Amino acid sequence: MNLNELKNIIGECNLQGEKICVQHRLHDVIEFVKNNYSYKMLKSITAVDLGDEIELIYNLFSVEDEEDVLLSIKVQNEAESIVDLFESAKADENEIYDMFGIQFIGNEDLKRLYMPENWEGFPLRKDYIQDDTRLAWNDNSDNA
Amino acid sequence: MTTATTLKLNLGPQHPSTHGVLRLILELDGEKILSCEPDIGYLHRGMEKMAEGLTYIQYLPTVDRIDYLAGCFYSELLCRSVEKAMNVELSERVKTIRVILLELNRIASHLLWIGAFLMDLGAISPFFYAMREREMILRYFEKLTGQRMMYNYFVFGGVRSDIDYLEEIEEIIKILPSKIKDYEKIITDNPIFLRRTKGKGVLEQEVAFNNSITGVNLRASGINYDLRCSDYLYRDFDFSPVVLEGKDSWTRYKARILELKESLKIIGQGLEKLKSNEKFEQNLINPLTVKLPEGEYYNEIEAPRGLASIYIKSTGGDKPYRLKWRTGSYYSVNMLRHLLVGEYLNDAIAIAGSLDIILPEVDK
Repeated sequence: MNLNELKNIIGECNLQGEKICVQHRLHDVIEFVKNNYSYKMLKSITAVDLGDEIELIYNLFSVEDEEDVLLSIKVQNEAESIVDLFESAKADENEIYDMFGIQFIGNEDLKRLYMPENWEGFPLRKDYIQDDTRLAWNDNSDNA
Repeated sequence: MTTATTLKLNLGPQHPSTHGVLRLILELDGEKILSCEPDIGYLHRGMEKMAEGLTYIQYLPTVDRIDYLAGCFYSELLCRSVEKAMNVELSERVKTIRVILLELNRIASHLLWIGAFLMDLGAISPFFYAMREREMILRYFEKLTGQRMMYNYFVFGGVRSDIDYLEEIEEIIKILPSKIKDYEKIITDNPIFLRRTKGKGVLEQEVAFNNSITGVNLRASGINYDLRCSDYLYRDFDFSPVVLEGKDSWTRYKARILELKESLKIIGQGLEKLKSNEKFEQNLINPLTVKLPEGEYYNEIEAPRGLASIYIKSTGGDKPYRLKWRTGSYYSVNMLRHLLVGEYLNDAIAIAGSLDIILPEVDK
Protein backbone atom coordinates (compact mmCIF):
# COMPACT_ATOMS: atom_id res chain seq x y z
CA MET A 1 0.00 0.00 0.00
CA ASN A 2 1.23 3.52 -0.68
CA LEU A 3 0.11 6.95 0.41
CA ASN A 4 -2.24 7.45 -2.52
CA GLU A 5 -4.05 4.21 -1.83
CA LEU A 6 -4.34 5.19 1.83
CA LYS A 7 -5.85 8.52 0.79
CA ASN A 8 -8.34 6.69 -1.37
CA ILE A 9 -9.50 4.71 1.63
CA ILE A 10 -9.54 7.25 4.42
CA GLY A 11 -9.77 10.47 2.41
CA GLU A 12 -7.82 13.66 2.95
CA CYS A 13 -7.61 14.08 6.69
CA ASN A 14 -5.19 14.63 9.49
CA LEU A 15 -4.20 11.51 11.33
CA GLN A 16 -4.42 13.28 14.67
CA GLY A 17 -7.61 14.37 16.22
CA GLU A 18 -10.95 13.00 15.19
CA LYS A 19 -11.79 9.37 14.67
CA ILE A 20 -11.11 8.18 11.12
CA CYS A 21 -13.62 5.82 9.57
CA VAL A 22 -12.10 3.10 7.43
CA GLN A 23 -14.47 1.36 5.04
CA HIS A 24 -12.34 -1.63 4.06
CA ARG A 25 -8.79 -3.03 4.07
CA LEU A 26 -8.29 -2.14 7.72
CA HIS A 27 -5.31 -4.43 8.10
CA ASP A 28 -3.42 -2.69 5.31
CA VAL A 29 -4.27 0.75 6.65
CA ILE A 30 -3.00 -0.10 10.12
CA GLU A 31 0.13 -1.67 8.69
CA PHE A 32 0.81 1.44 6.64
CA VAL A 33 0.21 3.78 9.56
CA LYS A 34 2.36 1.66 11.87
CA ASN A 35 5.31 1.48 9.50
CA ASN A 36 5.28 5.05 8.26
CA TYR A 37 4.15 7.19 11.15
CA SER A 38 5.86 5.71 14.25
CA TYR A 39 2.59 4.51 15.76
CA LYS A 40 4.23 1.54 17.43
CA MET A 41 1.74 0.79 20.17
CA LEU A 42 -1.84 -0.39 20.05
CA LYS A 43 -3.39 1.00 23.20
CA SER A 44 -6.67 -0.86 22.88
CA ILE A 45 -9.42 -2.07 20.62
CA THR A 46 -12.91 -1.04 21.63
CA ALA A 47 -16.03 -2.67 20.29
CA VAL A 48 -19.42 -0.98 20.34
CA ASP A 49 -22.65 -2.68 19.36
CA LEU A 50 -24.59 -0.20 17.25
CA GLY A 51 -27.57 -2.48 16.77
CA ASP A 52 -27.30 -3.63 13.18
CA GLU A 53 -23.50 -3.60 13.07
CA ILE A 54 -20.53 -3.52 15.41
CA GLU A 55 -17.99 -0.74 15.41
CA LEU A 56 -14.37 -1.52 16.21
CA ILE A 57 -12.19 1.38 17.29
CA TYR A 58 -8.43 0.91 17.10
CA ASN A 59 -6.43 3.29 19.25
CA LEU A 60 -2.86 3.48 17.96
CA PHE A 61 -0.28 5.47 19.86
CA SER A 62 3.04 7.04 19.05
CA VAL A 63 5.28 7.15 22.11
CA GLU A 64 7.75 9.57 20.50
CA ASP A 65 5.16 12.22 19.70
CA GLU A 66 2.69 11.22 22.44
CA GLU A 67 -0.12 11.23 19.92
CA ASP A 68 -3.11 8.98 19.42
CA VAL A 69 -4.77 8.02 16.19
CA LEU A 70 -8.22 6.47 16.19
CA LEU A 71 -9.26 4.22 13.33
CA SER A 72 -12.73 2.81 13.22
CA ILE A 73 -14.41 0.20 11.08
CA LYS A 74 -17.92 -1.18 11.11
CA VAL A 75 -18.30 -4.93 10.77
CA GLN A 76 -21.00 -7.55 10.97
CA ASN A 77 -19.64 -10.76 12.49
CA GLU A 78 -16.19 -10.99 10.98
CA ALA A 79 -13.17 -8.73 10.97
CA GLU A 80 -9.56 -8.87 9.85
CA SER A 81 -7.15 -9.77 12.62
CA ILE A 82 -4.06 -7.65 13.21
CA VAL A 83 -2.18 -10.06 15.48
CA ASP A 84 0.66 -10.15 12.97
CA LEU A 85 1.16 -6.39 13.50
CA PHE A 86 0.66 -6.09 17.25
CA GLU A 87 1.04 -8.86 19.83
CA SER A 88 -1.33 -7.09 22.18
CA ALA A 89 -4.13 -7.36 19.59
CA LYS A 90 -4.35 -11.02 20.56
CA ALA A 91 -5.61 -10.06 23.99
CA ASP A 92 -8.00 -7.40 22.70
CA GLU A 93 -9.42 -9.56 19.94
CA ASN A 94 -9.96 -12.42 22.32
CA GLU A 95 -11.85 -10.17 24.70
CA ILE A 96 -14.02 -8.84 21.87
CA TYR A 97 -14.70 -12.37 20.65
CA ASP A 98 -15.77 -13.36 24.15
CA MET A 99 -18.04 -10.36 24.67
CA PHE A 100 -19.31 -9.64 21.13
CA GLY A 101 -18.80 -12.89 19.23
CA ILE A 102 -16.80 -11.37 16.40
CA GLN A 103 -14.61 -13.80 14.48
CA PHE A 104 -11.20 -12.34 13.74
CA ILE A 105 -9.88 -13.93 10.59
CA GLY A 106 -6.22 -14.77 11.02
CA ASN A 107 -6.35 -15.12 14.80
CA GLU A 108 -6.23 -18.84 15.61
CA ASP A 109 -6.42 -18.55 19.38
CA LEU A 110 -9.92 -17.18 19.92
CA LYS A 111 -11.49 -18.82 22.94
CA ARG A 112 -13.80 -18.02 25.83
CA LEU A 113 -11.97 -15.71 28.17
CA TYR A 114 -14.15 -14.40 30.98
CA MET A 115 -17.21 -16.53 30.33
CA PRO A 116 -17.28 -20.29 30.96
CA GLU A 117 -16.24 -22.43 28.02
CA ASN A 118 -19.75 -23.76 27.38
CA TRP A 119 -21.47 -20.40 27.69
CA GLU A 120 -23.87 -19.45 24.94
CA GLY A 121 -24.38 -15.90 23.78
CA PHE A 122 -22.21 -12.81 23.93
CA PRO A 123 -22.97 -10.62 26.93
CA LEU A 124 -22.09 -7.16 25.65
CA ARG A 125 -24.24 -7.46 22.54
CA LYS A 126 -27.41 -5.46 22.78
CA ASP A 127 -29.51 -8.46 21.73
CA TYR A 128 -28.03 -10.67 24.43
CA ILE A 129 -30.90 -12.76 25.68
CA GLN A 130 -31.99 -11.34 29.00
CA ASP A 131 -34.39 -14.17 29.79
CA ASP A 132 -31.68 -16.82 29.78
CA THR A 133 -32.70 -19.39 32.40
CA ARG A 134 -29.11 -20.02 33.37
CA LEU A 135 -29.07 -16.62 35.03
CA ALA A 136 -30.20 -16.73 38.64
CA TRP A 137 -32.66 -13.85 38.38
CA ASN A 138 -34.42 -15.49 35.43
CA ASP A 139 -34.86 -18.84 37.12
CA ASN A 140 -38.56 -19.67 36.82
CA SER A 141 -38.34 -23.26 37.97
CA ASP A 142 -40.22 -24.43 41.07
CA ASN A 143 -37.23 -24.56 43.35
CA ALA A 144 -36.33 -20.95 42.66
CA MET B 1 1.92 -30.45 22.35
CA THR B 2 3.10 -32.34 25.37
CA THR B 3 5.64 -35.00 24.48
CA ALA B 4 7.14 -37.72 26.62
CA THR B 5 9.92 -35.44 27.81
CA THR B 6 7.87 -32.34 28.63
CA LEU B 7 5.61 -31.73 31.57
CA LYS B 8 2.51 -29.59 31.83
CA LEU B 9 2.35 -27.73 35.12
CA ASN B 10 -0.66 -25.89 36.40
CA LEU B 11 0.36 -22.85 38.41
CA GLY B 12 -2.57 -21.43 40.32
CA PRO B 13 -5.32 -20.33 40.39
CA GLN B 14 -5.06 -20.61 44.16
CA HIS B 15 -1.33 -20.21 44.49
CA PRO B 16 -0.46 -17.69 47.23
CA SER B 17 1.92 -15.77 45.03
CA THR B 18 -0.37 -15.24 42.08
CA HIS B 19 -1.86 -12.13 43.73
CA GLY B 20 -5.43 -13.19 43.33
CA VAL B 21 -6.62 -15.88 41.04
CA LEU B 22 -4.33 -16.18 38.06
CA ARG B 23 -3.75 -19.54 36.45
CA LEU B 24 -0.66 -20.11 34.36
CA ILE B 25 -0.42 -23.29 32.31
CA LEU B 26 3.27 -23.94 31.89
CA GLU B 27 4.94 -26.47 29.69
CA LEU B 28 8.26 -27.53 31.13
CA ASP B 29 11.33 -29.29 29.87
CA GLY B 30 13.10 -30.16 33.07
CA GLU B 31 12.86 -26.81 34.81
CA LYS B 32 12.93 -24.72 31.67
CA ILE B 33 9.68 -23.12 30.54
CA LEU B 34 8.80 -23.91 26.94
CA SER B 35 5.48 -22.13 26.80
CA CYS B 36 3.10 -20.28 29.07
CA GLU B 37 -0.61 -19.77 28.67
CA PRO B 38 -2.33 -17.46 31.15
CA ASP B 39 -5.89 -18.38 32.00
CA ILE B 40 -7.90 -15.50 33.42
CA GLY B 41 -11.52 -14.74 34.17
CA TYR B 42 -11.89 -16.12 37.70
CA LEU B 43 -12.76 -12.68 39.04
CA HIS B 44 -14.95 -11.42 36.23
CA ARG B 45 -17.76 -9.28 37.59
CA GLY B 46 -19.05 -7.81 34.36
CA MET B 47 -18.08 -4.23 35.16
CA GLU B 48 -18.77 -3.13 31.58
CA LYS B 49 -22.14 -4.83 31.27
CA MET B 50 -23.14 -3.54 34.68
CA ALA B 51 -22.51 0.04 33.57
CA GLU B 52 -25.12 -0.24 30.82
CA GLY B 53 -27.84 -0.89 33.36
CA LEU B 54 -26.92 1.70 36.00
CA THR B 55 -27.05 5.47 36.05
CA TYR B 56 -23.73 7.24 36.45
CA ILE B 57 -24.13 7.87 40.16
CA GLN B 58 -25.21 4.28 40.76
CA TYR B 59 -22.15 3.06 38.93
CA LEU B 60 -19.69 5.34 40.71
CA PRO B 61 -19.28 3.28 43.93
CA THR B 62 -18.51 0.10 41.99
CA VAL B 63 -15.56 1.42 40.01
CA ASP B 64 -13.28 1.40 43.07
CA ARG B 65 -13.47 -2.37 42.87
CA ILE B 66 -11.76 -2.55 39.49
CA ASP B 67 -8.46 -2.17 41.26
CA TYR B 68 -8.95 -2.52 44.97
CA LEU B 69 -5.44 -1.31 45.75
CA ALA B 70 -5.77 1.92 43.80
CA GLY B 71 -9.47 2.65 43.62
CA CYS B 72 -9.05 6.43 43.49
CA PHE B 73 -7.73 6.28 39.95
CA TYR B 74 -10.82 4.64 38.56
CA SER B 75 -13.18 6.96 40.44
CA GLU B 76 -11.19 9.83 39.03
CA LEU B 77 -11.57 8.51 35.49
CA LEU B 78 -15.34 8.19 35.71
CA CYS B 79 -15.71 11.58 37.41
CA ARG B 80 -13.44 13.17 34.84
CA SER B 81 -15.48 11.78 31.96
CA VAL B 82 -18.70 13.17 33.40
CA GLU B 83 -17.14 16.53 34.26
CA LYS B 84 -15.59 17.00 30.84
CA ALA B 85 -18.75 15.91 29.06
CA MET B 86 -20.85 18.34 31.07
CA ASN B 87 -18.28 21.15 30.90
CA VAL B 88 -17.75 21.44 34.62
CA GLU B 89 -14.54 23.04 35.80
CA LEU B 90 -13.01 21.87 39.08
CA SER B 91 -11.90 24.47 41.58
CA GLU B 92 -8.18 24.72 42.31
CA ARG B 93 -8.50 23.35 45.82
CA VAL B 94 -10.45 20.31 44.66
CA LYS B 95 -7.82 19.60 42.01
CA THR B 96 -5.10 19.72 44.65
CA ILE B 97 -7.08 17.47 46.99
CA ARG B 98 -7.51 14.93 44.21
CA VAL B 99 -3.81 14.94 43.35
CA ILE B 100 -2.84 14.42 47.00
CA LEU B 101 -5.22 11.50 47.40
CA LEU B 102 -4.22 9.93 44.09
CA GLU B 103 -0.57 10.06 45.04
CA LEU B 104 -1.20 8.71 48.55
CA ASN B 105 -3.09 5.89 46.88
CA ARG B 106 -0.20 5.28 44.50
CA ILE B 107 2.21 5.08 47.43
CA ALA B 108 -0.03 2.60 49.24
CA SER B 109 -0.24 0.49 46.09
CA HIS B 110 3.51 0.53 45.44
CA LEU B 111 4.22 -0.29 49.09
CA LEU B 112 2.02 -3.35 48.96
CA TRP B 113 3.75 -4.37 45.76
CA ILE B 114 7.18 -4.10 47.36
CA GLY B 115 6.08 -6.25 50.28
CA ALA B 116 4.33 -8.84 48.15
CA PHE B 117 7.13 -9.03 45.60
CA LEU B 118 9.73 -9.71 48.26
CA MET B 119 7.41 -12.27 49.81
CA ASP B 120 7.24 -14.00 46.41
CA LEU B 121 11.01 -14.23 46.51
CA GLY B 122 10.92 -15.76 49.98
CA ALA B 123 11.77 -12.74 52.12
CA ILE B 124 9.16 -12.38 54.82
CA SER B 125 10.22 -9.30 56.81
CA PRO B 126 9.94 -6.62 54.08
CA PHE B 127 6.26 -7.49 53.79
CA PHE B 128 5.66 -6.47 57.38
CA TYR B 129 7.70 -3.30 57.05
CA ALA B 130 5.84 -2.28 53.91
CA MET B 131 2.46 -3.10 55.42
CA ARG B 132 3.35 -1.04 58.51
CA GLU B 133 3.87 2.08 56.41
CA ARG B 134 0.88 1.30 54.19
CA GLU B 135 -1.21 1.06 57.32
CA MET B 136 -0.50 4.73 58.10
CA ILE B 137 -1.94 5.69 54.73
CA LEU B 138 -4.95 3.39 55.07
CA ARG B 139 -5.65 4.76 58.56
CA TYR B 140 -5.63 8.23 57.10
CA PHE B 141 -8.02 7.25 54.33
CA GLU B 142 -10.28 5.58 56.85
CA LYS B 143 -10.41 8.77 58.92
CA LEU B 144 -11.12 10.93 55.90
CA THR B 145 -13.46 8.76 53.85
CA GLY B 146 -14.67 6.09 56.25
CA GLN B 147 -13.18 3.35 54.10
CA ARG B 148 -9.81 1.67 54.00
CA MET B 149 -9.85 0.58 50.38
CA MET B 150 -13.05 1.43 48.48
CA TYR B 151 -13.04 5.15 49.12
CA ASN B 152 -15.86 6.42 46.87
CA TYR B 153 -14.61 9.87 47.78
CA PHE B 154 -14.56 11.59 44.42
CA VAL B 155 -17.93 12.76 43.17
CA PHE B 156 -18.98 14.47 39.95
CA GLY B 157 -17.66 18.01 40.16
CA GLY B 158 -15.70 17.71 43.37
CA VAL B 159 -15.01 15.56 46.40
CA ARG B 160 -17.30 14.33 49.13
CA SER B 161 -15.95 16.71 51.78
CA ASP B 162 -13.05 19.08 52.31
CA ILE B 163 -9.75 17.41 53.10
CA ASP B 164 -8.92 17.17 56.78
CA TYR B 165 -6.34 15.77 59.22
CA LEU B 166 -3.55 17.35 57.19
CA GLU B 167 -1.13 16.88 60.07
CA GLU B 168 -1.34 13.13 59.47
CA ILE B 169 -0.26 13.53 55.85
CA GLU B 170 2.59 15.72 57.04
CA GLU B 171 3.55 12.95 59.44
CA ILE B 172 3.48 10.41 56.60
CA ILE B 173 5.73 12.44 54.32
CA LYS B 174 8.07 13.11 57.22
CA ILE B 175 8.43 9.45 58.21
CA LEU B 176 8.35 7.68 54.85
CA PRO B 177 11.71 8.83 53.40
CA SER B 178 13.61 7.26 56.29
CA LYS B 179 11.58 4.07 55.91
CA ILE B 180 12.30 3.95 52.19
CA LYS B 181 15.97 4.24 53.09
CA ASP B 182 15.50 1.25 55.37
CA TYR B 183 13.94 -0.79 52.56
CA GLU B 184 16.82 0.09 50.31
CA LYS B 185 19.28 -1.00 52.99
CA ILE B 186 17.59 -4.37 53.35
CA ILE B 187 16.64 -5.05 49.76
CA THR B 188 18.43 -3.11 47.03
CA ASP B 189 21.91 -4.59 47.34
CA ASN B 190 20.95 -7.81 49.02
CA PRO B 191 22.95 -10.51 47.19
CA ILE B 192 20.08 -13.03 47.18
CA PHE B 193 17.67 -10.42 45.85
CA LEU B 194 20.18 -9.35 43.21
CA ARG B 195 20.73 -12.89 42.04
CA ARG B 196 17.02 -13.49 41.66
CA THR B 197 16.19 -10.25 39.87
CA LYS B 198 19.27 -8.84 38.08
CA GLY B 199 19.13 -9.72 34.41
CA LYS B 200 15.92 -11.71 34.87
CA GLY B 201 12.76 -10.97 32.92
CA VAL B 202 14.42 -8.56 30.51
CA LEU B 203 11.77 -6.50 28.75
CA GLU B 204 13.07 -5.09 25.48
CA GLN B 205 11.54 -1.87 24.20
CA GLU B 206 10.17 -3.42 21.03
CA VAL B 207 8.49 -6.20 23.01
CA ALA B 208 7.03 -3.65 25.39
CA PHE B 209 5.57 -1.56 22.55
CA ASN B 210 4.28 -4.60 20.76
CA ASN B 211 2.53 -5.83 23.89
CA SER B 212 1.11 -2.45 24.85
CA ILE B 213 3.01 -2.25 28.13
CA THR B 214 2.75 1.11 29.88
CA GLY B 215 3.46 2.64 33.26
CA VAL B 216 6.42 1.79 35.45
CA ASN B 217 7.22 -1.35 33.47
CA LEU B 218 7.72 0.70 30.32
CA ARG B 219 9.69 3.41 32.07
CA ALA B 220 12.00 0.78 33.58
CA SER B 221 12.83 -0.19 29.99
CA GLY B 222 14.07 3.28 29.22
CA ILE B 223 11.03 4.92 27.63
CA ASN B 224 10.13 8.33 28.95
CA TYR B 225 6.37 8.15 28.92
CA ASP B 226 4.50 9.31 31.99
CA LEU B 227 0.94 10.48 31.43
CA ARG B 228 1.12 12.66 34.51
CA CYS B 229 3.33 15.07 32.58
CA SER B 230 0.43 15.98 30.30
CA ASP B 231 -2.37 15.46 32.82
CA TYR B 232 -4.33 18.61 33.59
CA LEU B 233 -4.50 17.80 37.31
CA TYR B 234 -0.72 17.73 37.61
CA ARG B 235 -0.12 20.86 35.56
CA ASP B 236 1.23 23.02 38.41
CA PHE B 237 3.28 20.30 40.06
CA ASP B 238 7.00 20.00 39.68
CA PHE B 239 8.22 16.42 39.38
CA SER B 240 10.25 14.32 37.00
CA PRO B 241 9.18 10.90 35.73
CA VAL B 242 11.40 8.01 36.78
CA VAL B 243 13.08 6.56 33.70
CA LEU B 244 15.65 3.80 34.11
CA GLU B 245 17.57 1.81 31.51
CA GLY B 246 17.99 -1.61 33.12
CA LYS B 247 14.94 -3.41 31.63
CA ASP B 248 15.06 -6.28 34.17
CA SER B 249 13.10 -7.17 37.31
CA TRP B 250 15.56 -5.35 39.53
CA THR B 251 15.12 -2.13 37.56
CA ARG B 252 11.36 -2.35 37.87
CA TYR B 253 11.79 -2.65 41.64
CA LYS B 254 14.15 0.32 41.71
CA ALA B 255 11.80 2.40 39.57
CA ARG B 256 8.95 1.85 42.01
CA ILE B 257 11.14 2.83 44.96
CA LEU B 258 12.11 6.04 43.17
CA GLU B 259 8.48 6.66 42.26
CA LEU B 260 7.57 6.58 45.93
CA LYS B 261 9.94 9.51 46.43
CA GLU B 262 8.47 11.42 43.49
CA SER B 263 4.97 10.89 44.84
CA LEU B 264 6.04 12.20 48.24
CA LYS B 265 7.42 15.28 46.49
CA ILE B 266 4.09 15.86 44.75
CA ILE B 267 2.16 15.46 48.00
CA GLY B 268 4.48 17.95 49.71
CA GLN B 269 3.79 20.51 47.00
CA GLY B 270 0.09 19.79 47.25
CA LEU B 271 0.07 20.52 50.98
CA GLU B 272 1.76 23.87 50.35
CA LYS B 273 -0.89 24.69 47.78
CA LEU B 274 -3.69 23.85 50.19
CA LYS B 275 -2.24 26.28 52.71
CA SER B 276 -2.27 29.13 50.22
CA ASN B 277 -5.74 28.29 48.96
CA GLU B 278 -8.03 27.84 51.93
CA LYS B 279 -11.34 28.47 50.22
CA PHE B 280 -13.21 25.23 49.60
CA GLU B 281 -15.71 25.55 46.79
CA GLN B 282 -17.14 22.94 44.50
CA ASN B 283 -19.12 22.84 41.29
CA LEU B 284 -21.09 19.75 42.16
CA ILE B 285 -23.31 18.22 39.52
CA ASN B 286 -26.64 17.03 40.82
CA PRO B 287 -26.04 13.28 40.61
CA LEU B 288 -29.69 12.53 39.91
CA THR B 289 -29.72 14.57 36.73
CA VAL B 290 -26.43 13.48 35.21
CA LYS B 291 -26.97 13.01 31.50
CA LEU B 292 -24.04 12.95 29.14
CA PRO B 293 -24.68 14.67 25.81
CA GLU B 294 -24.68 12.33 22.85
CA GLY B 295 -21.15 11.43 21.82
CA GLU B 296 -18.02 9.53 22.68
CA TYR B 297 -15.79 10.36 25.61
CA TYR B 298 -12.29 9.03 26.10
CA ASN B 299 -10.13 9.79 29.12
CA GLU B 300 -6.96 8.31 30.47
CA ILE B 301 -4.79 8.49 33.56
CA GLU B 302 -1.47 7.15 34.80
CA ALA B 303 -2.51 4.46 37.27
CA PRO B 304 0.08 2.57 39.39
CA ARG B 305 -0.11 -0.41 37.03
CA GLY B 306 0.08 1.44 33.76
CA LEU B 307 -2.21 3.42 31.57
CA ALA B 308 -5.87 3.20 32.57
CA SER B 309 -8.50 4.60 30.29
CA ILE B 310 -12.24 4.80 30.01
CA TYR B 311 -14.35 5.03 26.88
CA ILE B 312 -17.97 6.05 27.18
CA LYS B 313 -20.45 6.19 24.35
CA SER B 314 -23.56 8.06 25.30
CA THR B 315 -26.81 8.44 23.42
CA GLY B 316 -27.91 11.28 25.64
CA GLY B 317 -29.55 9.15 28.31
CA ASP B 318 -28.81 8.86 32.01
CA LYS B 319 -26.98 5.56 31.49
CA PRO B 320 -23.95 4.91 29.30
CA TYR B 321 -24.70 3.13 26.02
CA ARG B 322 -21.30 1.46 26.14
CA LEU B 323 -18.48 1.77 28.63
CA LYS B 324 -15.05 0.25 28.24
CA TRP B 325 -12.13 0.10 30.63
CA ARG B 326 -8.57 -0.34 29.54
CA THR B 327 -6.30 -1.47 32.35
CA GLY B 328 -2.56 -1.92 32.49
CA SER B 329 -2.44 -5.33 34.15
CA TYR B 330 -4.46 -6.99 31.40
CA TYR B 331 -1.64 -6.47 28.94
CA SER B 332 1.07 -7.38 31.46
CA VAL B 333 -0.59 -10.74 32.07
CA ASN B 334 -0.82 -11.44 28.37
CA MET B 335 2.83 -10.55 27.93
CA LEU B 336 3.84 -13.39 30.28
CA ARG B 337 3.45 -15.64 27.23
CA HIS B 338 6.69 -14.17 25.90
CA LEU B 339 8.51 -13.09 29.01
CA LEU B 340 8.51 -16.49 30.70
CA VAL B 341 9.60 -18.59 27.73
CA GLY B 342 13.16 -19.79 28.17
CA GLU B 343 13.29 -18.89 31.86
CA TYR B 344 13.46 -21.35 34.73
CA LEU B 345 10.42 -22.33 36.74
CA ASN B 346 11.76 -20.81 39.94
CA ASP B 347 12.05 -17.45 38.17
CA ALA B 348 8.49 -17.56 36.86
CA ILE B 349 6.99 -16.15 40.03
CA ALA B 350 9.75 -13.59 40.41
CA ILE B 351 9.21 -12.28 36.89
CA ALA B 352 5.43 -12.32 37.04
CA GLY B 353 5.58 -10.58 40.41
CA SER B 354 7.88 -7.86 39.13
CA LEU B 355 5.26 -6.71 36.61
CA ASP B 356 2.83 -5.73 39.38
CA ILE B 357 -0.20 -7.63 38.17
CA ILE B 358 -3.47 -7.37 40.01
CA LEU B 359 -6.23 -9.69 38.97
CA PRO B 360 -9.45 -7.74 39.57
CA GLU B 361 -8.05 -5.22 37.13
CA VAL B 362 -7.39 -7.94 34.58
CA ASP B 363 -10.80 -9.55 34.87
CA LYS B 364 -12.88 -6.39 35.28
